[in-house]
Amino acid sequence: MSRSRVSPGLAGIAGGWLLLIILAAWATPTTVPIPDLARAGYPPFQAPHWLGTDPQGLDVGWSLLQGSRTVVLISVPAALLTLLLGTGLGSAAGFWGNRLALTRARAVAGAGLLTSGLLFWAQLAAFPILGALFLLLAGSLEALLRRTRWGRQPHFLPLDAALSACSALLDSIPLLLLVVAVASVQRPSVSGIVSLLALTCWTTPARLMRAATLQVAVQPYLEAARMTGLTDLQLLRRHIWPNTWQVAAVRFPMTVAALISLETTLAFLGIGLAPETPSWGRILSAVRQAPTAWWLVVWPGLALIVTLLSLHVLSRWLQDRMDVTNTSNNLLT
Amino acid sequence: MKQLLSGLILLVWAGLSSCSTPPANTSPSTVRIRWARDPDNLDPLIVSNLSAYETINLLHCSLLQGNDSTLSYVPWLAESLPTTRVVNDSLLHITYRIRPEATWDNGSPILARDVAFTLKVMNCPGLPIELAQAQFGFIRDIILDPQDSRRFTLLCTQQEVGSSGDYSILPEYALDPRGTLRPISLEHLRTQKPPSVVAEFARRYEALELARHPERLPGCGPYRLVKWQSGRALTLERKPNWWADKLPAPPPPLQAFPARLSFQIIPDAATATLALRRGELDLYSLMPAGEFTRLQHSPTDSARLRFYTTDSYQFLTASFNVRHPALHDRLTRQALTHLFNIPALIQASQQGAAYPSVGLISPRLRQYYNDSLPLPDFSPATALKLLQQAGWQRQTNGSWQRRDATGRLTPLAVQVAYRAGEPSFETAALQFRGAAAALGVAVELQPTESSLLNRQQEAGNIDMLISNLSGNPFLYNFTSLLHSSSVGVSNFTGFATPESDRLIEEIALTRNSSRKAVLLRKFQRLLATERPFSVLYFLKYRVAAARALGPIPVTGIKPGYEAARIRPLPLH
Repeated sequence: MSRSRVSPGLAGIAGGWLLLIILAAWATPTTVPIPDLARAGYPPFQAPHWLGTDPQGLDVGWSLLQGSRTVVLISVPAALLTLLLGTGLGSAAGFWGNRLALTRARAVAGAGLLTSGLLFWAQLAAFPILGALFLLLAGSLEALLRRTRWGRQPHFLPLDAALSACSALLDSIPLLLLVVAVASVQRPSVSGIVSLLALTCWTTPARLMRAATLQVAVQPYLEAARMTGLTDLQLLRRHIWPNTWQVAAVRFPMTVAALISLETTLAFLGIGLAPETPSWGRILSAVRQAPTAWWLVVWPGLALIVTLLSLHVLSRWLQDRMDVTNTSNNLLT
Repeated sequence: MKQLLSGLILLVWAGLSSCSTPPANTSPSTVRIRWARDPDNLDPLIVSNLSAYETINLLHCSLLQGNDSTLSYVPWLAESLPTTRVVNDSLLHITYRIRPEATWDNGSPILARDVAFTLKVMNCPGLPIELAQAQFGFIRDIILDPQDSRRFTLLCTQQEVGSSGDYSILPEYALDPRGTLRPISLEHLRTQKPPSVVAEFARRYEALELARHPERLPGCGPYRLVKWQSGRALTLERKPNWWADKLPAPPPPLQAFPARLSFQIIPDAATATLALRRGELDLYSLMPAGEFTRLQHSPTDSARLRFYTTDSYQFLTASFNVRHPALHDRLTRQALTHLFNIPALIQASQQGAAYPSVGLISPRLRQYYNDSLPLPDFSPATALKLLQQAGWQRQTNGSWQRRDATGRLTPLAVQVAYRAGEPSFETAALQFRGAAAALGVAVELQPTESSLLNRQQEAGNIDMLISNLSGNPFLYNFTSLLHSSSVGVSNFTGFATPESDRLIEEIALTRNSSRKAVLLRKFQRLLATERPFSVLYFLKYRVAAARALGPIPVTGIKPGYEAARIRPLPLH
């Protein structure tokens, strides 16, 4: 079925709005707003609070501008991390499948390193020097095992199966439930919420990238390149990634949109971010204290809708521009 | 196609009907009340919050009960108000007699030896008695009347008669059926190394885990615990044969009408308001002022609900942890107090229905209120001067630092904690943060779940806390709040000086009201100077209740209503 192309005008408006958001995030002062308690809960269209105030006396317009910084500072890095993690894992799974050959020595050392990292992540965060120690120990273990015949034997890592299992496991839990559960026990911080979003949302880009890689990997030119003696990493760098990166690029605005929605939901629920962090979700949540204050829903709601629509339009426009038809159009829609 | 459409419409209608508001409570004898937090602990020795206080008072009886209308104590389990005999300046004999009708659930009479047993439990080493010690440590001994098993005399070092009878009386038959504590005197427990039976008793008491299993301790109050779902609800049921039912005309403290009291734990104020409007709650006390006014003006809501307001002895405070390096000096605390815009906070969060105070005595109590002290004003300029006097130096980036005694640089940065979901706390915290930020004082807000907040408070991990404190008009004992003996137990600010300790003790010892007024005024002055906490304003209790409950007996004493005396109207 054919799909209508995005007109340049619409793409321009969407881009302009997103540019405004970025500009607001960059230009709005970071100063702590002083609540105007004498005008708490005031309706809009009155000086000096043209968009009204919330029940705490905070100016809605100012909160919207400051909230745009949170949108940019959380959603964009989280989307980049998500794509990096997802596309990296997806490429690897699509390219190597279940036949990533490693020596047993390396597999054991790698597994040990991963387990230690998971078990002692808190200590690693506090004392990064421990990481060097773990690396040294893993290296020594590998060197020791490589001396044995057992250690030199090849071991095939089931990368594709592992990715599918992890992805299915994560997807089986409702995303919001998972994020809310983790966010409610961790200390509110921007870095914490970015990491949490990235670690829970990587499955979709991973699946798309795996599918795109699988499509490219069976092409005859790749076999020819392999015959010329290129290594796996060279094949990935020269032939796979140049033909699949568009999937990640087109996916980026959609990922940002999804993460904005998630971040706003978390802020609405009052978890994940410190209370002093301005956020559109937090403005929305103020309506619970003043259910008749329509301006607490309309302004942040409008900002949210227009931003999400703009990102959607941008994603479609990128699709049109990059002509991601054969490899990813079906995957993306 | 038409059939399909009709089927679809029917399906949608059925779905929507099943998702619609459940019918309001049809049992008029069950009263559903909103609580902001779980009681956490229902051991009568540890009453850590308002919900626990309310529950304990429905499960157990004290000898006396505070009365808001007379501003004094009235008899509850006691037959009448006690008689007193002054032995000397520091010793008072207070004689009580227990009502002859009073019995435990097993039918055995409540006797003086139960009071003696209760006092021994409150002094039993190995039990969590710190709070009881802080509040009732002035009761030195008890003498039982050999002629009358219901009569006894308390030997008290404090002259506050009322507080000598304001603790739950525990059943000896249930906790110590063999009477192992009987031979040991209270004086002996207090002063000497206790014998092994005491340790054995403490082990048995602890094994009961009353904190989570209060049903293991039968009380002499009108209700018994039926169900406690932690963090969700607590249900009490009226005892069918409560001893006070035999009285021909029970006085108000001995009246208990609702067959069931169901306390719904809803921390979020907005959710609680919605539940009240949907008919899922019958009573909501301390409702946010804005919503209270809105509901009053709504024809639909005012047709179903009744609204009550009454002056209370509950006040909003900002407490300082004086052990925090940045907050250990009074000048810094005074400076930070000047950053609260109290009139604006009263207007914004209470719709003007609250009143400021110079300290923890309500301005309603004119005799004791120190009206010569100025009300704390919002003055960043004064705060700036005070910070400079306290040795803080403004840095080029606008922040503040000073060197402590060891020469180390301390930044002026505080974390302000408050119970999440409470709009008035949040408004005060945001206003303070804004004013502090304008001066360059770094403030981090920490809205925290109530149980976690309690634990942090007990561990002394909170720099500044915005919370409500309650007092009453007939007891002036600040030992648990501000005495050095209560630091780490119930004095969470950590503030105590020899002078404040002396004043607290003297206030408790004084019976003469003129002398007490002088001491209380002096105490308020001391607190205004030292500022271990700042009283932002005294609240008015706002109670919204379903009309089906009939007139609600509201009171200025926490929690703002008398649940047991609510008399639901019969269904027509």
